[in-house]
Amino acid sequence: MWLTSKIKQVLMVIKPGVVTLNYPFEKRPVPENFRGAPYWDHEKCIGCGGCANHCPARTILVRDICQEIRVMVYDGSRCTYCGRCADVCPENAITMTDRYELATDDRQDLNESMELFMLTCQRCGRCYDMENVNMIDRMDLQGYRYDNIEARAFIRKTTDRFDPEMLKKTAEYKRPSKIGE
Amino acid sequence: MDIVYIVVNIIIFLAFAPLFEGIVRKLTAKVQSRQGPPVIQPYYDLIKLLGKENFIVGNWVFKLAPLMSFAAILSVICFVPLGYTANFLTQYADVITIIYLLTMGGVSILLGALSSRNTFAMMGASREMVTMIMVEPVLAMTFFVGAVKVKSLGIDATIFSVMNTGYSWAVLLMMVLYLMALQAFVGKQPFDIAEAEQEILEGPFIEYSGPNYALFKYSMMLKQMFYASLFVMVFVPFLYTGVYALDIAIQLCEIALVYVVIALVGATNPRLRIDQAVKYYAVLIVLALSAVGLSVYGI
Amino acid sequence: MFENLSKKLFGKSLWLYHCNTGACNGCDIEILNVLTPYYDVERFGMKLVASPRHADVMLLSGAVTRPTLPLVKKAYDALPNPKLVFGVGSCATGGGCWFDSYNVTGGAAGVVPVNYFIPGCPPRPEAIIYAVALALGLVDKQVAPVELKQMEFPIDVYERNKAWEERNTIYQLIQD
Repeated sequence: MWLTSKIKQVLMVIKPGVVTLNYPFEKRPVPENFRGAPYWDHEKCIGCGGCANHCPARTILVRDICQEIRVMVYDGSRCTYCGRCADVCPENAITMTDRYELATDDRQDLNESMELFMLTCQRCGRCYDMENVNMIDRMDLQGYRYDNIEARAFIRKTTDRFDPEMLKKTAEYKRPSKIGE
Repeated sequence: MDIVYIVVNIIIFLAFAPLFEGIVRKLTAKVQSRQGPPVIQPYYDLIKLLGKENFIVGNWVFKLAPLMSFAAILSVICFVPLGYTANFLTQYADVITIIYLLTMGGVSILLGALSSRNTFAMMGASREMVTMIMVEPVLAMTFFVGAVKVKSLGIDATIFSVMNTGYSWAVLLMMVLYLMALQAFVGKQPFDIAEAEQEILEGPFIEYSGPNYALFKYSMMLKQMFYASLFVMVFVPFLYTGVYALDIAIQLCEIALVYVVIALVGATNPRLRIDQAVKYYAVLIVLALSAVGLSVYGI
Repeated sequence: MFENLSKKLFGKSLWLYHCNTGACNGCDIEILNVLTPYYDVERFGMKLVASPRHADVMLLSGAVTRPTLPLVKKAYDALPNPKLVFGVGSCATGGGCWFDSYNVTGGAAGVVPVNYFIPGCPPRPEAIIYAVALALGLVDKQVAPVELKQMEFPIDVYERNKAWEERNTIYQLIQD
């Protein structure tokens, strides 16, 4: 009856015994493909900014200090450890390590910043053909090089330039009403 | 000279109650196959609670309630003849006083809960009231089984009636009933409907913090130890040696065994709803009345 | 006399109050996982209490959304005085993916003074126990700001930039 089932319930625990892991003193190895904190290998990074583009929490910021130096900052306080940056990096410079013991009392402790040296093009010293001539338009481009020395001192933003024509096109877009149209 | 007995009573109860509670927690953890807190954990809990800030949420009743509950249970401890020796206070009180003082402890919990101005506390208070009402007859019948046989209501006569007059069917029936009702006396699963019910509702102690809460917890622990020691004193008197200290030691071991039973039953049972608990108790009350009836006829 | 003893024994019996401020419940499930037999946190003397007035530690999970902002403040005020706050998960440390959304006020640090942050989405139960052990002083901190540099630059860019700033009036205007 119920009494024997209760006694069996108490005796049932003898087989597994106490299963608690002695955690802070003995660590258990992590499962494979575990995504812990990301780590950048600065020897391999080319500064393309693909990780910054794909991060869902916009945790990676790309700044150009000048023509030759690009600083990439990883602000660890919002990272969701999704692994998109490692997935998209063309040089495989980012690895998701297996560090998960990241508790801290100061959020600045989670920052990683990297200074990269960007080479100049060997032929002409400039990378791209700029069809914008005027300084104001160039001010909201991504971190590419400049044509003249005076413009080098400006610090670039990393977000895309806002284009009014593209906005008009998306406002007037009509969804196809049938499949295959 | 007799005051020594009272002081020893108080010291033993105050010192050992958290230890037994720790044994209960550790054993519950082992049954759930985990390593539990260290056995002296309730001492740490009480001392830590005494060091916290005290928020006063209600009026003067809010401040009075924990003191009243602690005082009630301390007075009960003074009368109890631990170690088979009655002290000089025992002649001034009888069995009805003990029941009255225990009820006063329960009423002070209700007062504290109702003065907290919180809906959850009110719900916890109503459940505590129902629990108190249903538990009291069984406690009274435990005493009356002995009282009817020796024809007096004094504490030492009633409690030692089994020791003096031997076992009978009524006493055996009462022993089984007491064990089945023990869980509600001490407020553990399956009957911890009112007090430790932090999982479902917040219980009547939701607004108490710091030292007030420490006093309530301590009175709960003392009440548990009192009920366990009542079982030992009334129903298990056959290991009687004449030496006071040895008697106390033997009784403490038996109390520890009763606590082991409480822990095991508490760890394997779910919590009953209030109406299911009342139905269970209705059966127990009827059986307790029949035990008293049997002892009237001398069986 | 009692106060010193209470202070010393504060770390041996911390009571946790769990406050979910609009989380996806991943961090909440991990907090409940910490109480299961495998990672048992009760061996440190901690237990989960349901009323903030009994608790010592408030575990915040979730990016603090606008409706829950005054409630989190009220719950923090209801904790009696020696108290700690842990922000569990990436949403509590900085707002997570949703730090600039219209309904999110950006993590626990803007509402209550937080003592320890536990990043992770959701943090492993071992990471939560590690944070608790860090608060009790049993282990050391394992993160620090990292700065990497590819090579030493052969160009003296910083001085050049400064000279340019001083020379150009348009830059001065933009700076203002």
